[in-house]
Amino acid sequence: MNLDNELRNTLRRKSPAPGFAGRVLARIEEDDARSSFVSKATDHGRRWRAVAASVTLAAVLAGYASHHIAEQRRIEGEFARDQVLLAMRIAGAKVRYAQQEVRAIGTDRTEEQSSIGEVDN
Amino acid sequence: MHRVILTAILMLAIAFPAAAQRLNLDFPGLADRADEVVDVTLDAAMLKLAAKFLSGKDSDERAVRDMVNGLQGIYVRSYEFAKDGQYDRSLVDRLRSQLGSTWQPLVTVRSKKKESVNIFADMRGEMITGLVIIAAEPRSFTVVNIVGPIDIDRLAGLEGQFGIPRISEKNRD
Amino acid sequence: MTAIAQELVEFPTALVKAREGDHDAFAEIVEQHEAMVYSLAWNFFRDRSRAEEIAQDVFLQLFRNLASIESPSHLVFWLRQVTTRRCIDVSRRGRLRPVSLEEAGEIPARERNRDPLLDQTLQRLIGELPELQRVVLTLRYQEDLDPSEICRIVEVPVNTVKSHLHRALRSLRKRLESSR
Repeated sequence: MNLDNELRNTLRRKSPAPGFAGRVLARIEEDDARSSFVSKATDHGRRWRAVAASVTLAAVLAGYASHHIAEQRRIEGEFARDQVLLAMRIAGAKVRYAQQEVRAIGTDRTEEQSSIGEVDN
Repeated sequence: MHRVILTAILMLAIAFPAAAQRLNLDFPGLADRADEVVDVTLDAAMLKLAAKFLSGKDSDERAVRDMVNGLQGIYVRSYEFAKDGQYDRSLVDRLRSQLGSTWQPLVTVRSKKKESVNIFADMRGEMITGLVIIAAEPRSFTVVNIVGPIDIDRLAGLEGQFGIPRISEKNRD
Repeated sequence: MTAIAQELVEFPTALVKAREGDHDAFAEIVEQHEAMVYSLAWNFFRDRSRAEEIAQDVFLQLFRNLASIESPSHLVFWLRQVTTRRCIDVSRRGRLRPVSLEEAGEIPARERNRDPLLDQTLQRLIGELPELQRVVLTLRYQEDLDPSEICRIVEVPVNTVKSHLHRALRSLRKRLESSR
């Protein structure tokens, strides 16, 4: 047995399921717009758009569109809420740290220097 | 006639206040070198949506909801690295160079071993219409850009709530 | 113009257009490199849904960082580096977004005249290697890279890469022999 050859065969490249590029673009658009899956059909009729359009059409025909939109909205809203809380927590932590450092040195400085000034550690 | 023009200008200024500044927070390659990345990008539309989902019954979330009301954006990039020297400290200067003439430094904490923090505020008269916080440690780098009117003291009061341990504990000796 | 030269001429155009926000051009780039990225993740995890998820994440990250890509060769380097880093990161943290099996793709049919049991055994043994050995082995045999190229991707010294490769092969040989 030639291990090198066996490894080359075992580790050979494999393709993802068809429509991978379409799924990536779908995530980009979802990420950008923070909204429901958007299909951007044009006259060019690219393969990935055809896949995206057919999936959307199937969802509408099945009658799940309105439920999906409401559910998507809820997911986006909760995501946005979590992001806001995270951002505020981080910002608040940094401001609080800066204030603590200023106050720690503040006994030796004037109030004006410590609130609009520099603290060296 | 002059009075009419002046009044119109003032009315326009009130109706369309000078836009607060959003920084370019694109740091190519930094995320790839980081162990942990926090990336928050919330524009006015997303903040409006978020506000609808912040609980009015919970006092902490209500405080946040009040604070985000009127903001045009919140942007955070935070990176944690496995070892020192994974990012260029001149990033701080590059960010500062983006700030226009209305920006003023509020606090500068410099430390080689602990966290260095720079806080800048976009001042329009007495009002803060934007905030930039830049925090740098040997193994982490954080930028927060808040676009819109913000109360710094209220912001500092938020940290440690929501059942999350106070981050600044680790900076204490 | 030869096919290779033509590819070199065409590809930079797609890169330039993709940077300008052309989704069609970005889709071309994805289609050109999806097998490489997906396979790196698949060969690391032997899991279709994980490989799909990681491959999507890598291309999403590429889209956000197109401005930093300098050339087609840099793009390939970047994709290999980010994918391997992501695999190690996910492996250490166990973070995953659920992906439907319909998205996750099929395992390719085995080649004829290969021992299917050997293939399966090798897959399992590779999956049991320490992360860095697995990564180095995959870059060596999937991408046909030599240690000097691998060390740039994983950012460890070349002798460390050689050492990992040597240990991985030795471990595989030993365990294959003991499994017979």
